[in-house]
Amino acid sequence: MREKTPRKFSTTPGTRDVLPPESTRLLDAQARVLARFRLHGFREVITPALEYSEVIEEPKLRDSAFKLFDPDNQMLLLRPEVTTPVARLVAQRLRNSPPPYKLSYSLPVYRRAGVGRGQSAEFRQAGVEAVGSASPGEDAGTIALLVDVLRTLGLRPGTDFALVLGQAAFYRGYLKGAAPGVAPDVLAALADKDLVRVDEISRTLQPEVAASIREIPRLVGPAADGSVLERAAGYAGRNEEAAAALENLRLILDHLQAIGPLDGVMLDFGLIGRHDYYTGAVYEVYASGLGFTVANGGRYDNLLRRFGEPLPATGFAISLERLVSALPERRADPLVVLVGASVEATRAASELRDSHVPVLHLAEDLPPAQAADYARSVDADWVCYPAPGGVKLAPAVGGEAEILAPGAVAGRVIS
Amino acid sequence: MRGLRVAVPKGAIFEDALAALESAGMPVGVLRDDGRRLLYRADGAEFIMSRPSDVPVFVEHGAADIGIVGKDVLDEQRPNVMELRDLGTGACQMVLAAPRTKVEEVRRSIDHAEVVRVGTKFPNVARRYFEGMGRQAEVIELHGSVELAPLVGLAECIVDLTATGTTLRENDLVVMDEISSSTARLIANRGSYRLRHREVAGLIEAMNRNGDRVG
Repeated sequence: MREKTPRKFSTTPGTRDVLPPESTRLLDAQARVLARFRLHGFREVITPALEYSEVIEEPKLRDSAFKLFDPDNQMLLLRPEVTTPVARLVAQRLRNSPPPYKLSYSLPVYRRAGVGRGQSAEFRQAGVEAVGSASPGEDAGTIALLVDVLRTLGLRPGTDFALVLGQAAFYRGYLKGAAPGVAPDVLAALADKDLVRVDEISRTLQPEVAASIREIPRLVGPAADGSVLERAAGYAGRNEEAAAALENLRLILDHLQAIGPLDGVMLDFGLIGRHDYYTGAVYEVYASGLGFTVANGGRYDNLLRRFGEPLPATGFAISLERLVSALPERRADPLVVLVGASVEATRAASELRDSHVPVLHLAEDLPPAQAADYARSVDADWVCYPAPGGVKLAPAVGGEAEILAPGAVAGRVIS
Repeated sequence: MRGLRVAVPKGAIFEDALAALESAGMPVGVLRDDGRRLLYRADGAEFIMSRPSDVPVFVEHGAADIGIVGKDVLDEQRPNVMELRDLGTGACQMVLAAPRTKVEEVRRSIDHAEVVRVGTKFPNVARRYFEGMGRQAEVIELHGSVELAPLVGLAECIVDLTATGTTLRENDLVVMDEISSSTARLIANRGSYRLRHREVAGLIEAMNRNGDRVG
């Protein structure tokens, strides 16, 4: 019997080793996501995994973060998200260049909360931030980029995913005007997604206001169908802030429509995101068959003020592991295992790579059966030996071997 | 596409949950036939039978689209789900209770901010309750028969759920404070609420139309 592995050699709760082919899929998806970010002009930044604990202000995020102390006894956090560190970076490093700052990242984040509830303590977020512009065109631009990314990776809008879009300023504006006394409580209840509590609070108010407070967060429907916006306008009445927020949302939808149909975009006036964080457009992406959000984002015009630069900002973060789990199966890249301890084998491997064939050179003299076993263990489709005049190529699953010139292998294995 | 998958709680609020779903026109008849199965299918809809405290877990992960569960469970777990409707049934109170002979002693301890030992199935609720008052408690988490704890000296008082107060009376326990009241709630997965909004909204509408008559 194998000895029991000591506990300290396992990975810590909520973390894991990622092995091929999953790791390959994850990094492939990351590369394709970052390529789309670049196509839209977002440039990558890398922030440290450790931040002073003061950088993150939101109590829930602070609570969920892993904490440690540096030699000066300062409390540090492992970043639980990337938007705040990027905001810090913008305020500290970029104040001498003109806004807007369009930055992207793909970094691991760390959270204690959720471990034991099927959520990881370490996961990757890929996202963009457009800092320094309040234009609805920027909101629409980042939303369009997110949809572009999802489509590029093979997800169909409306069928495989839906982007749920809200406007946090609409309900907040309405409440501030119509029922300022209960506004904070109602917004806190809605941030907790507790519509029952919203109803309870509304009961103390006069019927017309109470009805609006109850019904606005329940307005959900396809963006292509204009009636959701109309009903929202009806509930808002003559409230100026709410009207401005609605106009902002209409503009965002106009921009999006200029690029393509609004398939897969849903409006939800109950979506306000984290408590007291989003100040305008706010959105979440859901993939069918997945209970959690794949991506989320929105406008957060108050965050940068903390770092001494009151700049408006908008952006999103994609949860890469969740995204990968929602992606359609994709054929892995081909791989040839070239077997042989000889100098000829080394030369043949190099020649194959010159013609863009991925080659794993196994510098041992292994008999074909063992070589095929090995090839299958590394998900390689082909086994190959150096031969006079070229290489002897055979499928790893068994079958006829054939002698090919090195230059002809690419045509055979890369379809 | 399959119909909605519903997490139905076994135990005290099972019948109330069925009545609510029935009022919305869901084919819940199959659930009454045979009490041992865990998964039922009828007319495209699916029903998961689960412990009440597991209902939010199924729903949060999207393993069920919607579920019915007491507010007490939601208060304890604080799951990331949509809380859509108060079904008004299964009413009960979360209370602080102590043995009749110890009530004054416990009250004095709490008043003087001494540490009291609390037995409970709801450790988060208990902790928040005492923290909210600025008082200290040592919370002992139990999984059943919480009433026993103060009788054998495991705890000085308990935080527990009571509907009629019978069990408390039988064990000579007295309610010292009402912490919160609870009723059954309809909850939904965040994704299902949006992706299948028409079905979920239709269900709620039907409940609103018929539910009050039944419930």
